[in-house]
Amino acid sequence: MKFKALVSFIVVFSLGLGMLGCVGQAGPQGFSGVTCQNGILYVGSMEGTVLAVNPTARSGELAFPSSANGEWRCETITLPAAGASCGPSFQTAGIYGTPAVGEELLYIGTYGGDKGKIYALVEATGADRWLYPRGAGFIGAIVGGIVVDDDTVYVSSSDGRVYALDMTYGDFKWKFEPPSVDKVDKLWTSPTIAGDTIYVSTYEGYLYALSAQDGSLLPWSFQAEAGLVSSPLVYKDTIFVGSFDRNLYAVKIGCDEPLWKFSAGNWFWATPLVNEDVVYAGCLDGKVYAINAETGEQLWEFDAESPVVCSPVLVGDLLVVAAESGNVYVVNSKTGDGERIKNPEEDNKPSIDAPIRASFCAHEGMVYIRGQDNCLYAIDVNQKEIDWNFSLTME
Amino acid sequence: MGDVWNLVILDPILNGLIGLSDILGFGLAIIVLTIIVRAIMTPLTLKQMKSTKALQTMQPKMQELQKKYGKNQQKLQQEMSKLYKEAGVNPLGCLWPMLVQFPVWIALYQAIIKLVAATPENLLDLSRHLYSSQAISSAIPVGSQFLWLNLGQPDFVLGILVAGTMWVQQKMTTAPSIDPAQRQMSSMMLLMTPLMFGFFALMFPSGLALFWLVSNLIGIVIQYFLGGGWGYLKLRSTNMVPKGASK
Repeated sequence: MKFKALVSFIVVFSLGLGMLGCVGQAGPQGFSGVTCQNGILYVGSMEGTVLAVNPTARSGELAFPSSANGEWRCETITLPAAGASCGPSFQTAGIYGTPAVGEELLYIGTYGGDKGKIYALVEATGADRWLYPRGAGFIGAIVGGIVVDDDTVYVSSSDGRVYALDMTYGDFKWKFEPPSVDKVDKLWTSPTIAGDTIYVSTYEGYLYALSAQDGSLLPWSFQAEAGLVSSPLVYKDTIFVGSFDRNLYAVKIGCDEPLWKFSAGNWFWATPLVNEDVVYAGCLDGKVYAINAETGEQLWEFDAESPVVCSPVLVGDLLVVAAESGNVYVVNSKTGDGERIKNPEEDNKPSIDAPIRASFCAHEGMVYIRGQDNCLYAIDVNQKEIDWNFSLTME
Repeated sequence: MGDVWNLVILDPILNGLIGLSDILGFGLAIIVLTIIVRAIMTPLTLKQMKSTKALQTMQPKMQELQKKYGKNQQKLQQEMSKLYKEAGVNPLGCLWPMLVQFPVWIALYQAIIKLVAATPENLLDLSRHLYSSQAISSAIPVGSQFLWLNLGQPDFVLGILVAGTMWVQQKMTTAPSIDPAQRQMSSMMLLMTPLMFGFFALMFPSGLALFWLVSNLIGIVIQYFLGGGWGYLKLRSTNMVPKGASK
């Protein structure tokens, strides 16, 4: 009878666990973007590793890592598991922010539920240089990207603070805590630097201006009608930022009222791109809008038919747009006419057979995109085809 | 199917929860919405309680029949049906109100998980379910602080409270069986199910554990006032005959 009762319990437990798993509690997968420095691509994988990938070695199908070509893969980064767990007490770190490259070092922020750390790796080898906080301590989990400027790295954290660290040794310089953190305490956006000022957008709807020297709050701030979802972009004297009220705000620095607001069908999650007074903004309503930066007038829109989670990238006059469906488009930045990159295997499949959420980069006519299948794709923009792909999964 | 589920059940509950969060804060909104949903479900809950009680009352007679006709299954079925008919009880009567409530609880659970937005993926997913309204937009994302809790993270104290209240609620309603084998089984389930939910509460965001806790407390209150006091919670192990059962 005890055996029967035990079996019944195991069945009920498994059903309960299955039910909870099925109805929406997915763990963090991470969507680290790709960055390019001196012809080497740096990317965080969904396994908590960071890789340096040489496009030439990959197109030549050399064994990975080809250290002679500057390639490496760092050890899997782990953090203590959050809450009770029937698995190991450590979990693989999620990586959301795009790696940032400074002088000889590569910086990466990690996400582990409520815990985060910043890692500095040697750019040439992937060896650990420093981490912050040192030892067993943590700051809040890191979702936004790390920004490097002069001798300092800046990062915002889920504990609601912006941290400034010495870029060479990882020493703490200052931290900034927004004045109103009682409602939403997490900062998932990246700080933006313009001159000696750092701009921070918060989920409470504030744009703050900080001194890059000591993190002190400068006199001007701006409050939107809803929380700000995207990282701010500074162009000339205007900040462009997306909001939860489905508007893209253009705010003149120093002004209390927005210069204009552009309304769409969903959130502007991705940081917009500006070139020659035209704002290119991807939206979760599945469209990319080209907007006059001065007036807020719509120039054209391109329908990607699926949420646009990552920022578009310009390659000459061509705008490369990646939709969450996995489709990648090459769009004429003047007219908004676009063409879909075909899937190399089946024409009716998305360009990449996996969702695209991570930001991507362009280098010498190629764009490099990491899909949620943990593969890195190289797309030839002029040929409009996928040149090669490379699995980031450790074998 | 997924679209219909979202349109009819999930999205109204999710947006309702956001609207309440804007006025009350997320923690209180979870409590209030759980109370509202349970209040709407009260007629079904009462029906379920009535059916369960009737079945428990019939248990001694059913066991007598089992002893008498245990070797003749066909005859046993006939006599059981007769017994149900005489007592005016449908053996599935306690099941269907539970089945009707189940989707609503799943949707409430999903809504809380999405709104807690513990991961960036959750927050992205939330954008697909929101109504286009200024009130909804201005309430997003909801604040995660409530009392000592970060509603996006697991909490140890809440895990213990969930397990404790679930045990009390179950103990109030679980009739001790006369059959020793069944009694052993039900006492094991009585212990294990709260432990299981306590364990879940330690794994999932505390916003969800808060929902379980409030739901358990409401269940206890309903059971106390409408089911006749503390029920089987005060029953001593020596007195194994369920309340209301005819000897």
